[in-house]
Amino acid sequence: MITIEGLRKHYGEIKAVDSIDLEIRDGEIFGLLGPNGAGKTTTISMISGVLRPDSGRVTFDGLNIWVEPKKVKRNLGVVPQEIAVYEDLTAKDNLDFWGSLHGLRGPGLKKAVHEALERVGLEDRAKDRVKTFSGGMKRRLNLCMGLLHRPKYLLLDEPTVGIDPQARLAILDIVREVAAAGTTVLYTTHYMEEAQELCDRIAIIDHGRILTIGTLESLTRQSGESEVLKVVGNFDENAANQRLSGLSGLRLIRVEEGTVLAGIDATGPGLLEILPKVLESGLSIDDVSIQKPNLQSVFISLTGRELRD
Amino acid sequence: MAPLKIVLRDLKRMVRNPVRTALLFALPLMLAGIFSLVFGGGAASEISIRVLVFDEDQGLVSRLLGGAGSSPEMDRRLDLVPVGKEGFEMMERGEASALVHFPPGFTKNYLDGEPVVISIIKNPAERFLPQVVEEGGRIGAEILSQGSRVFRTELATIGGMTQNTAFPSDLAVGSVASGVNNKLQSLKRWVFPPVINLETTTVTPEITDEEGAGGGISILGFLLPGLSMMGILFLAQSATRDILHDRESGLVRHLLTAPVSPVDYIAGKCLSVLVVSSLGFFFLVAFGIAAGVDWGPAATTIALVLAASLAAAGALVLISSLVGTERQADALSTIVIMVWSLIGGAFVPISQFPDFLRPLAKTTPVFWAVDGFHKAMQQGADIAAVSTNLLVLGGTGLIFLGLGAAALRRRMAGGLI
Repeated sequence: MITIEGLRKHYGEIKAVDSIDLEIRDGEIFGLLGPNGAGKTTTISMISGVLRPDSGRVTFDGLNIWVEPKKVKRNLGVVPQEIAVYEDLTAKDNLDFWGSLHGLRGPGLKKAVHEALERVGLEDRAKDRVKTFSGGMKRRLNLCMGLLHRPKYLLLDEPTVGIDPQARLAILDIVREVAAAGTTVLYTTHYMEEAQELCDRIAIIDHGRILTIGTLESLTRQSGESEVLKVVGNFDENAANQRLSGLSGLRLIRVEEGTVLAGIDATGPGLLEILPKVLESGLSIDDVSIQKPNLQSVFISLTGRELRD
Repeated sequence: MAPLKIVLRDLKRMVRNPVRTALLFALPLMLAGIFSLVFGGGAASEISIRVLVFDEDQGLVSRLLGGAGSSPEMDRRLDLVPVGKEGFEMMERGEASALVHFPPGFTKNYLDGEPVVISIIKNPAERFLPQVVEEGGRIGAEILSQGSRVFRTELATIGGMTQNTAFPSDLAVGSVASGVNNKLQSLKRWVFPPVINLETTTVTPEITDEEGAGGGISILGFLLPGLSMMGILFLAQSATRDILHDRESGLVRHLLTAPVSPVDYIAGKCLSVLVVSSLGFFFLVAFGIAAGVDWGPAATTIALVLAASLAAAGALVLISSLVGTERQADALSTIVIMVWSLIGGAFVPISQFPDFLRPLAKTTPVFWAVDGFHKAMQQGADIAAVSTNLLVLGGTGLIFLGLGAAALRRRMAGGLI
């Protein structure tokens, strides 16, 4: 189990991570979902023992990574957001070096390298220099380096950024396989779909704080809304507030010039009664869209912003 | 042993990148190669001055002066070539450093006490050697002038003798000898002992230029240590660039997620820079040997190479630890390397520097490396004889490495890496 208590990192006035508490259970895939700049990478850097926190502690099965770093890191695999490989070496050279740092040697190292390359589908490119690889192949090699020593804990920091959908699916499949084999996975992403598809539990992070934690079902239920309504048109903020704020069963989440986001209360009158009132409110409306509850709507209801904002 | 694994990985990267590696060694080799070609390799150890002698007089004095290079030492340094009028054309073609012309009647006029002229035509394409001839001619003229004044009577007698076909009588020769002896006796007070005592002492030169290189050091041998040191500083610059590249590309952060401590990483990179610099230096030493350079005792050379490489590695690690980006490191380290090389005597002997600049040379590792290598080359200095150089280079290197490692460690702890 990975236990994170009161983790904090400030850069002057900027609170990159502000008192985070998490508990990641053995064998689960735990997602840390948040927009860019939410504090995901800073959090994972502190959890992996690269960045020293201002306060708080991180333990892996009771071992504090800042007290016994080498002991913990032997069981830890990290896949960073950057493609951190030596491009002038071959794929095998990179893995040989990485494996040797984790104490692998001789036939054991050879076997691990072979298996890891096979797992990510790069065995036929083992002796090619990484600089000749495509972006997706480099990402897979990046993942391969984190898996090589069969770690008990795997931390992945946005491992699918900037790759094509096919390569993304391949990486997600590998993560599922690894987790099914018993590895505890912490997966950070700003892609809502990835978190929904992959993770057993999800924590939503914004401005360095954990806003909520739970399974996909509990999070969507927790928002208390059946749908989220998005209204786009030619109106100002005051007019929208005046015309819509009094409607029963509608909770305004964000109102600004030309856009309104509102939640429809699951226990209220329902969409079919509310929607005509919105359309008849006198606002000049160009478009209305309705979202079923998902992580996006949860994030919107918690922050008033969409994940991509 | 994570640091050793980092060193092995860096060496493997050099092997996997033969072009990049060759480029790393290109600068010092190129400079050494150019100097080798210019000075003709190790064979260019002796500077010989080629002087054309156009003797239209063919008299006693002009023949004596024209044969001044007959002593073994002068014969080695001075190449006197008797010529006729074609000597002027040879000078126009730049075939000698100077032409010395004795006009007709030179001997007669000299012995008669008349004013005489020796003409020296210098080669304008050469800078130093014609001046040597001119200064030599000036000294010779001064001696001849004073001799003419003091031995006026005797010279006139000798002049008469040379014009007679008959062999001079014993009385005439004895008269001249007696006259010379009397004048020497009267000058005894000033000549024996001489007014000026000239004491010759063999000193241990700190830096000797090519004219003063009494130990037989060649011009290439003189220049190669300085050029090599400069080349190794550039090599260390390339090697330390990796630290900044690792930092900027996220490789350091990734490495630190493995069972590798910041100290392991820093030690590995410092060791790696040291190994690359030492290998480069040994390569240049081998190049020098192939070009005919005698580096002196092997143990001294090895010790100096290691100490100089340590100083170079330390300096460049320190620079890379103080800056934020590869570009900043390149700019700063290039300035430092060039200034150290120039004032440390890599190109020009510090004996040629103005007085105010000479003490500054000793603040650079280039000076201590060049000085140590020259001592080994010229005097066959053993390790004890260059211990000061080794201590300064090694000590500086360790201090620089320590400061650089501490700065890198601080940046890592602060999350800047």
